[in-house]
Amino acid sequence: MASDESIPTLKILMIGPSGAGKSALLIRYVDDQFDSESSTATIGVDFKMKKLSVHGKAYRLNLLDTAGQERFRTLSNSYYRGAHGIILVYDISNRDSFLAMERWFEEVESNAQPGAVTYLVGAKMDKNAQRTVKLEEGQRMAEERGCVGFCEVSSKTRENVRKPFVEIVDAVVKKPELLSDGARRTGTVGIGGGQGGYDGCSC
Amino acid sequence: MEPLTETKWDAVISGTGLKHSLLALALSRSNKKILHVDQNKYYGDAEAAFSLQEVDEWVEKVGGETPEHFRNASLWKTTSESSNESEKLSFSRAYTLTLSPQIIYTRSKLLSQLVTSKVYRQLEFQAVGNWWILAENTLNRLPNGREDIFQDKTIDNRSKRGLMKFLKFVVDYENQTELWQPHVDSSLAGFLSSQFQFPTNLQNVICALTLSLETPEATKVNWSLPRISRHLTSIGVFGPGFGAVLPKWGGGADISQVACRAGAVGGGIYILGTGVRESTPSSEDTDGLTQVHLTNEDVVKTRHLIQPLQTQSTNAKVVSKIIAVVSSSLTSLFKNTVEGSPLAAVSVIVFPVGTVDVEGASQNTPIYIMAHSNETGECPPGQCVLYATMLQSERSHELLDVAVDAFLATLEDKPSLLYKLYYEQQAEAESSETSLDLAFNDSILDDVESMWRIVMGEEADQAMFMRFEDREGMNNDDDEIDEGY
Ligand SMILES: Nc1nc2c(ncn2[C@@H]2O[C@H](COP(=O)(O)OP(=O)(O)O)[C@@H](O)[C@H]2O)c(=O)[nH]1
Ligand SMILES: [Mg+2]
Repeated sequence: MASDESIPTLKILMIGPSGAGKSALLIRYVDDQFDSESSTATIGVDFKMKKLSVHGKAYRLNLLDTAGQERFRTLSNSYYRGAHGIILVYDISNRDSFLAMERWFEEVESNAQPGAVTYLVGAKMDKNAQRTVKLEEGQRMAEERGCVGFCEVSSKTRENVRKPFVEIVDAVVKKPELLSDGARRTGTVGIGGGQGGYDGCSC
Repeated sequence: MEPLTETKWDAVISGTGLKHSLLALALSRSNKKILHVDQNKYYGDAEAAFSLQEVDEWVEKVGGETPEHFRNASLWKTTSESSNESEKLSFSRAYTLTLSPQIIYTRSKLLSQLVTSKVYRQLEFQAVGNWWILAENTLNRLPNGREDIFQDKTIDNRSKRGLMKFLKFVVDYENQTELWQPHVDSSLAGFLSSQFQFPTNLQNVICALTLSLETPEATKVNWSLPRISRHLTSIGVFGPGFGAVLPKWGGGADISQVACRAGAVGGGIYILGTGVRESTPSSEDTDGLTQVHLTNEDVVKTRHLIQPLQTQSTNAKVVSKIIAVVSSSLTSLFKNTVEGSPLAAVSVIVFPVGTVDVEGASQNTPIYIMAHSNETGECPPGQCVLYATMLQSERSHELLDVAVDAFLATLEDKPSLLYKLYYEQQAEAESSETSLDLAFNDSILDDVESMWRIVMGEEADQAMFMRFEDREGMNNDDDEIDEGY
């Protein structure tokens, strides 16, 4: 545990329209599970932790899911706060989900901290037969929007599921100004244990 | 996804203010079906926080004398185009100005509930440091504990003894009823004078700790003692040198967002920009469910409808408020005075009655300014946000203006005003003024608990209220590392 403390934590968000495949991607990447039956919102996933190393250096990823608040576009400012990277997900078999990305990029621009990086993902690439968004279209949007990367993934077949996470982390750690921010917590007070905290206290 | 209108909701909660957001948090592990709506396009309701642009829109809405909780809002901005960044306003979203700057005493049940419900991990708390009294154009720091009193040169020895005697009494006031029971209805100032021979300046010091908005005459002993005791016993609970905290990024506003997210993680559905238009009570042909007509034309069915207090009593208390941005980091205000204490992000400045005046009107009630440093995330570096409050009166707007100026004039670097928002806020009801309290009032939590009981019905188990396990994300921190590159 002690050595854990020295590992920098990166906050990475998933956003995009409902049903695009965000939760499936997160769960496949972190827990290597896929439930093709589930069609309802994934209840109870707040965030997932995962350690990842790039170029020999370990990072702790704090991966946040939308908790369904994307359905009516009611993600709060606090969700975006302090995010180093944002993975925007659409469904390659649902053209509307791709068209909706414009508004999600705008939301990122107005809510994320300056300098946060974005990565575009086309999900469900196994559904090639029902494809309504060309690979090139995704690529072009990612370029136009200044994303640090783009790829298509399938949480069902596992294809490319690690790629967005590895590449976005690689891009984040190349921006030292993004990382220094987390260390600057001089004035923060612990209320949950540690320094005379509350946890064990029944008063 | 099931349409909203098909679902039989256990509760429709209207409004995402602090109280209702905490209710959503309390219900977040109950498996109840919750629909949480807010007529505003933002979270937080009367406890929201805004960017400058959002303030503009809000002022449009509450600019008039409409009998809403908020009224008479007006805005002034500097036109300065100085080359010095701190001397001019930055971009809109560089600011998070909050309607909810209440400090939270370290012994507040709110903090323990945020801990046991685990959402404190999503919040950052900062210390409320020095308290000051403005008198004769200078700021005097209130003594912070016993050591400080002994070293304070502004207090003579006789007063010191009286003060020590009072402090010893007040932290144990519950067991010393014989000392104060005969005086319950006296004013605190009179009690301090008659029982402890305090001179006026010392009365002011003690009165300041109550954060009373009323005249000294109306600030009663029985109301004051618990508040003074809370102040004193809160110091040191989470570290030396402070007794209260404030969540970064807008105080109560951030708690409400984090609590709503917990509600969403638990399966609650969130819609903003949609309110409750009207409701039809349950009847036999509605399966005992209340029909709720939303402003987006949907009609939903629910077992419980939780709405904010609707009574707009004209007699409820009203306060005047100014939120100001100033061109200085006010470093001297936040300076550590106790060894090992965290750097404070909030400082409290008290103006006892009669400190400032305007032509033809004197200051009959205290004025409080809560200064927030840029560490709160509410403004850019090199600037601070001031939250000034006093009881509303015919001249309160002018008095607050003068108080802000008087405060700035005491500072060496003579900061300038960049932005000033004035508004008035009315208490939710005559009987309940918790929303105006400058410190978070724990009775809000009693309301949350009773609403929770209503929704939970027979399943309500007091021991489980706001007590949750960490979500799995926290624990599965195994040692497996994904070797990326
Ligand atoms: N065939 C296929 N289905 C997927 C894939 N990823 C997600 N899904 C399905 O798409 C639906 C929505 O996925 P979900 O992850 O819940 O979307 P979210 O709303 O963006 O979190 C679910 O029924 C998933 O099983 C994928 O890669 N391939
Ligand atoms: Mg999901």
